[in-house]
Amino acid sequence: MKIYLQAALVAVAGSLAGLAANAASPHPAPLGRPVRALAEAGTGTCQLPAEGPLATPRISVAEAEVRCTACTAGFVDAREEREYEAGHITNALHLAPEGAGEEAVLAQLAAFPLVVIYDGQADCGRAEAVARRLRARGVKAVRVLTGSWPAWMAAGGPGVSGPCDLCQQGVAR
Amino acid sequence: MKSILLGLARAALGAIFLYAAVTKLPDMAAFATDIANYRMLPAALVPATSAAVVGIELAVGLLLVAGVAARAAALVTAGMLVFFIAGLSQALLRGIDLHCGCFGGTELATWGTVGRDVPMLAAAVAVAAWGPGRIRPGGVGRLGVDGGR
Repeated sequence: MKIYLQAALVAVAGSLAGLAANAASPHPAPLGRPVRALAEAGTGTCQLPAEGPLATPRISVAEAEVRCTACTAGFVDAREEREYEAGHITNALHLAPEGAGEEAVLAQLAAFPLVVIYDGQADCGRAEAVARRLRARGVKAVRVLTGSWPAWMAAGGPGVSGPCDLCQQGVAR
Repeated sequence: MKSILLGLARAALGAIFLYAAVTKLPDMAAFATDIANYRMLPAALVPATSAAVVGIELAVGLLLVAGVAARAAALVTAGMLVFFIAGLSQALLRGIDLHCGCFGGTELATWGTVGRDVPMLAAAVAVAAWGPGRIRPGGVGRLGVDGGR
């Protein structure tokens, strides 16, 4: 029985120590208000900031939308093909982190001074992988879209559905 | 031999939990978000729970390394690991894509993360059941302060 009492004491004392440590943390958890899952808050997709020297700089939906309207950026969807077909940014090309289609996509992107990539992951991992793939092929100006497709849709950005014909043909749709 | 193995398991477990706690301290808000992403707790309980988890990790880490009240600390550790394994498993089974929040970084939760917790759980159960052991052969002193069985 003694061990259970000690364990309860350890748990209570540890919890109190945790609250004290939280108060002393430079970035404390907000004890006074609820913290929701990123996905439930509608901000779960590709919201993490660029970390590390090799991370791709981010671009906001607002800025990307201006460039989309003015056709001053090419867009690349790094999600699964079925996700792309279900709905994507208008004129976005589809390119997965691995697999075919790179040459046709590169040919299309050559016309744009900037490339914006988006994916469907919390840590922007697929978009980062595609960014690395494009940089390795000489594409210099690359950005990852913060908030990705959900944020784009929430902001009323233009979108369409269907397969990526131009990804195969090298001809803009 | 058994006593030495228990001592090593206890010290290693304590060091891991201490490290896990220390890596979370600089950004407790991020850890709270990681906890929320598991979608196991009401949003209102997430901040206090995340702070408590870090504090308990810190407490059991110190106690296990020091060998003080080690069986009780191991029992709490085992409870936490069961909680972690259950949380990770339900998230993976539900297809939730998230960071595990294990060591304060951006490590993704995978079944490998679950597998990593299992030997730690075994070590915690062993220490809780058989006592803290000792690290040096024939050594005595405070490492066995709460006694083995």
